[in-house]
Amino acid sequence: MLSNIVTITNLASYAGAGLCIGLGAIGAALGEGYTAGLANHAISQKSKKSGDIIKNMLVGQAIAETAAIFALVIAILLLFVKMPSTSILKAAALFGAGICMGFGAIGSGVGSGFPGGEACLGIARQPVMAGRLTTNMLIGSAVCQTPAIFSMVVALMLMFMDFSKMPVSPTWAALIGAGISTGLAAIGSGFGGGKAAGASCEGIARQPESIAQVTTTMLVGQAVSQTPAIFGLLVSFILMFKTFPEAVALNASMALLGAGICMGFGGVGPGIGNGLTAESAVRWVSRNMRATGELTRIMLVGQAVSQSTAIYAMVISLVLIFVV
Amino acid sequence: MEDLTNIPQFTINLFGINLVFNTETLIMTWIVMLLLILFGFLATRKISFIPNPFQVVAELFVQTFYDLTKDALDEKMVKKYFPLICSLFMFLLLSNWLGILPKLSEPTKDLNTTLGLGVMGFFIAHHAGIKKKGFKVYAKAYFEPIFFMAPLNIIGELAKVVSISFRLYGNILGGAIIILVVSHLIYSLVLPPFLILFFSLFIGTIQAFVFTMLTLVYISVQVK
Repeated sequence: MLSNIVTITNLASYAGAGLCIGLGAIGAALGEGYTAGLANHAISQKSKKSGDIIKNMLVGQAIAETAAIFALVIAILLLFVKMPSTSILKAAALFGAGICMGFGAIGSGVGSGFPGGEACLGIARQPVMAGRLTTNMLIGSAVCQTPAIFSMVVALMLMFMDFSKMPVSPTWAALIGAGISTGLAAIGSGFGGGKAAGASCEGIARQPESIAQVTTTMLVGQAVSQTPAIFGLLVSFILMFKTFPEAVALNASMALLGAGICMGFGGVGPGIGNGLTAESAVRWVSRNMRATGELTRIMLVGQAVSQSTAIYAMVISLVLIFVV
Repeated sequence: MEDLTNIPQFTINLFGINLVFNTETLIMTWIVMLLLILFGFLATRKISFIPNPFQVVAELFVQTFYDLTKDALDEKMVKKYFPLICSLFMFLLLSNWLGILPKLSEPTKDLNTTLGLGVMGFFIAHHAGIKKKGFKVYAKAYFEPIFFMAPLNIIGELAKVVSISFRLYGNILGGAIIILVVSHLIYSLVLPPFLILFFSLFIGTIQAFVFTMLTLVYISVQVK
């Protein structure tokens, strides 16, 4: 039964679609729940402002939903779009696309919940700043969505690029590895970026004058905590675009699959860690604006150190790709 | 379901290079531009102390985005960049809303539109940065915090373009696909208007605002 190529391609796209939306729904739901929870907290503190708070909560949840919508789009495309060619490679690419988008949506979904919730609390605390808080929340949660967008880009490329000229044997593993690499590496960065954005909403509510410094520090911190996701993206691109020599033995394939897994898991921790650093830096910038320069410098140094583990993972995966 | 993969195109062969045009996107973009020009004409035709309805709406846009630009940039640059920011928002808003009319579709559903606007924002932001700080200080920012971070910083800048344009594209395309699939499954009964309300009007507005604000933030990060 499985010897039929069409069956294998269908199997891969159905399994990929299932994994994609199944995994992708986890994060957004968690994030939206967190936002709604803090909105309740905020309304209990200042029930007169419930209109503003509910409006803000809905906008925040709509942004957090974006990650799940991306996963839904990829899943629907996997289900309904008829691929022009059916081969083992296409099957591997479709499965990889599903995994990539599924994992990639988790972090950003959870992460975009934090700024939404904190902005609701902030409105209860400082009702005058409601407009500014909503704007800042939108910017923060849009930036923390970036890792999910990287996953969508990789998934779309895996689905629609033509791999038919590549040798089957190591390339199938490279394509699945490419999906795993960006997908897993996006989890940490999405979560971390959300933490930083949440702290910035809290900070603006606490000290409205510090808005410029807080937003800038948040953007810098988020950009650095996105670096692991960019490492994952780099490894995925190398795996997708490099032409590997034909190898019938399994060890070449396993090395490429291992490269993807290595970079994927290696990116989770540094992403979250960098996000926590950025969160604290943003929080303290809002409490002590005069120390902004020093705090930003310390944040960058600390993030560089905690990023070294992601660099180890990238070195090993490059060794697996180019040397082994 | 065939709509998903069917993109109307025509090709022109110019000196051996095939130029491919997405007809639908081009027509829809022109419709949006014509509507905006019409709106601008109606709003400014008879400016008076007691405004006509179009003038009220135009004043609302101008006031809101003037304030937002003033928060992000300093006095001298506001004059220069506010028209860009305001018209970018109005263009995107109308583009994202265009799909609610039958037979029309959103030009932002095409990656070429959003990527074009993203690249435009990228060049404007970097031009503003070089002009404000001088090339030396601008280039030095790439070697922060340590010199070997330069390749990563450059990739990070390029990733901004990818993320800003794919965010808008993914959201609008996602909404369109979901409306299409659900309408197909339930034979267009009851549900589609509510989906259009959510995806076109609500998500469309938020994403237009996010795109505009991010373009503004990228400019303000470069000039600081």
